[in-house]
Amino acid sequence: MPITEIVFYVFSLVMVSAGVAVITVRNPVYSALFLVLAFFSSAAIWLLLEAEFLAIVLILVYVGAVMVLFLFVVMMLDINLTPLKEGFIRYLPVGIVVAVLMAAELLLVIWSKGSFDQGAFPIPPPNPVGFSNTKALGELLFTNYLLAFEAAGVILLVAIIAAIALTLRKRVGEKRQNPAMQVRVQRDERVRLVKMDPEPRQGN
Amino acid sequence: MLTLAHFLSLGAILFCLGVAGIFLNRKNVIILLMCIELMLLAVNMNFVAFSRFLGNMDGQVFVFFILTVAASEAAIGLAILVVLFRNRRTINVAELDELKG
Amino acid sequence: MNTTNMLLAAPEFWVLIMACVILIADLFIREERRGIIHMMAMITLVFAAIITVRGDYLSEGLRSATAFNGSFIRDPMGDVLKLFSFFILGIVYVYAKFYLRQFRMFRTDFYTLTLFALLGVMLLISANSLVTIYLGLELTSLSTYALVAFDRESKRGSEAAMKYFVLGSMASGMLLYGMSMIYGATGSMDLADISVAISNQDGDSMILVFGLVFLVVGLAFKLGVVPFHMWIPDVYEGAPAAVTLFISAIPKMAGFAMAYRLLYTGLGDLHTDWQQMLSILAVLSIVLGNLAAIAQTNIKRMLAYSTISHMGFILMGLLPGTADGFGASMYYVIVYSLMSAGAFGMIILLSARGVEAEQLDDFKGLNQRNGWYAAIMAMIMFSMAGVPVFVGFFAKWLVIKAALDAGLLWLAISAVIFSVVGAFYYLRVIKLMYFDEPLTESPIDAPVDFNAVISLNGLLMLGLGVFSGSLIAVCMSAFGA
Repeated sequence: MPITEIVFYVFSLVMVSAGVAVITVRNPVYSALFLVLAFFSSAAIWLLLEAEFLAIVLILVYVGAVMVLFLFVVMMLDINLTPLKEGFIRYLPVGIVVAVLMAAELLLVIWSKGSFDQGAFPIPPPNPVGFSNTKALGELLFTNYLLAFEAAGVILLVAIIAAIALTLRKRVGEKRQNPAMQVRVQRDERVRLVKMDPEPRQGN
Repeated sequence: MLTLAHFLSLGAILFCLGVAGIFLNRKNVIILLMCIELMLLAVNMNFVAFSRFLGNMDGQVFVFFILTVAASEAAIGLAILVVLFRNRRTINVAELDELKG
Repeated sequence: MNTTNMLLAAPEFWVLIMACVILIADLFIREERRGIIHMMAMITLVFAAIITVRGDYLSEGLRSATAFNGSFIRDPMGDVLKLFSFFILGIVYVYAKFYLRQFRMFRTDFYTLTLFALLGVMLLISANSLVTIYLGLELTSLSTYALVAFDRESKRGSEAAMKYFVLGSMASGMLLYGMSMIYGATGSMDLADISVAISNQDGDSMILVFGLVFLVVGLAFKLGVVPFHMWIPDVYEGAPAAVTLFISAIPKMAGFAMAYRLLYTGLGDLHTDWQQMLSILAVLSIVLGNLAAIAQTNIKRMLAYSTISHMGFILMGLLPGTADGFGASMYYVIVYSLMSAGAFGMIILLSARGVEAEQLDDFKGLNQRNGWYAAIMAMIMFSMAGVPVFVGFFAKWLVIKAALDAGLLWLAISAVIFSVVGAFYYLRVIKLMYFDEPLTESPIDAPVDFNAVISLNGLLMLGLGVFSGSLIAVCMSAFGA
């Protein structure tokens, strides 16, 4: 077995088990950590697919920022764990049936003859030495996908506005700045010129 | 040999795990949010695989955008979760029953 | 970036710039003078409309122009939908200002978030590639998720927002999975290229149909048609009335445009496949929406179920895949948005300080309290029910006619039967207003601009019905019918 296949199967196994763990473990903190594991294995598989930039971004941005945000919220909200899991057993059979049926159908289509096998999609040659994935991605991003890039920027702005608008609140007795007051401030409100007699010179 | 079907199967299994997770977790909204992340990861896997086997980079560009949007989505989702928790002191899905009809 | 790109997308850039200007201007404006923000938002809409109308972009003989490497398209359909989005959002702002003032929620965030949602709607209307569709959709959705939880102290608001968020994100996931399959099968993100690639393929289109199923599920979730409608009643009831007003009116136009571009421009060759799927969704929505609406006592919930049935009619217009059908569907979506804005405007009008008039009983004896308002509400309800002379009748008639022309007899018949059933709950509102005793005698007062706009909104129901020809002609000519 070539090394790529070993890598693929090992990381796939880790990823799928981590995925199962995410949806079954009791504690949301463990769930989040298993999701991190799934992201890491996914990044490894993306490296096999020669998507180096995205693999790194997945770890840096996704694990580094988004999952940390998740963990932060999980720990900030003081959730009582025990009652949260009851009823899980009740929905388990339905959930398993839905998942298995859906997966079976998807796999059936994916493995049907002539759709995604080697005949329809031959294995591409590896990229030439010196090919830069990041550069190729960047070139597309700032030419063909310029509008989409701007739209993505706006979406990030909306996320900031929405998160602040929803969660920022005033507590009693809290000191805060009022930007509207700050920018409207006049010179006279801050500076007071005091008329003073000059100090008499110390004679010597 | 690793064909496209291998990678797509991995995506399909992850996707189903995400959907099953949404069905199973009637109790904890945070895990629901994580299931959505799992679904998006599956979709990204599909796009990256297609991009490689089709030999064009458009798929990877789309993944770049999905990652951006998913990060924003997580931020807003968690913000709503915090508001919900402040109002209800619970994130138990089964207890979210003010709206019925 | 060359100038043609910028010029074609000028209305979008204008709205983006103004949304940011309003965001910053908020810092300089004292709380008691926040009316300025309202004025700025209105000016934004007026100029966006002027820029859209004055854009002279079509070269000889062409029906559309693309920019940004084909990912953005300007065509008459998009322009008409955008102009009506501006117009109806203007109406929404007038109603919303009154509501937000009364409920002490008059914050600038409402304006910035709705303007960003409008930007998403515009992007979605003009989207010509899978990437632009996805980003436009998410821009709209993310802004509306936050808007639903706009009243931060409201338990129902935050609960509705959470449900909306989880189901909406799941729908996005489904849609993306479908998009990935379409991309895999055609090798392109551009709708025009996808269409070419599909017509060049022969026979084996199983992957495409497979992708299509996921696309349709995602689309159905976003449009809120049965059986993917669960979130609509909860969101309509839980969100503050000003936000429900916005959600019920503006994003629907983008939903129509998205369905048209994705299904017809991109996957037109799979017409027989999606026709089957959509016809089931359409008939289920019309049946279930109308039946469930009868059982409601909360008018916001009733209007939610009525929305579901209206969405069924809009889908029905898409089914034939002809210019007539699309024209009818677009006419329906515009008319629906106007009716819906009016209905929620009335709910806002009756909401007294701090309490929303969300029960049907709140409309009891409205005629005795104020005859003119009762007449406006009656006109809106007649129009929604599809009573002849009112504009809603022509919308229903055109859609049913398009379905009949395409040979979808059983669909047309069930649509007629269930719109008669549906007329019951609209007429019940009229009965409550004219024949029941009012629960309260407190006078209804509203500012001048509110009165002017709601009167206009009500009269449009009649006016557009009596002179229905011109708007229908505009919608039909947008598709070259």
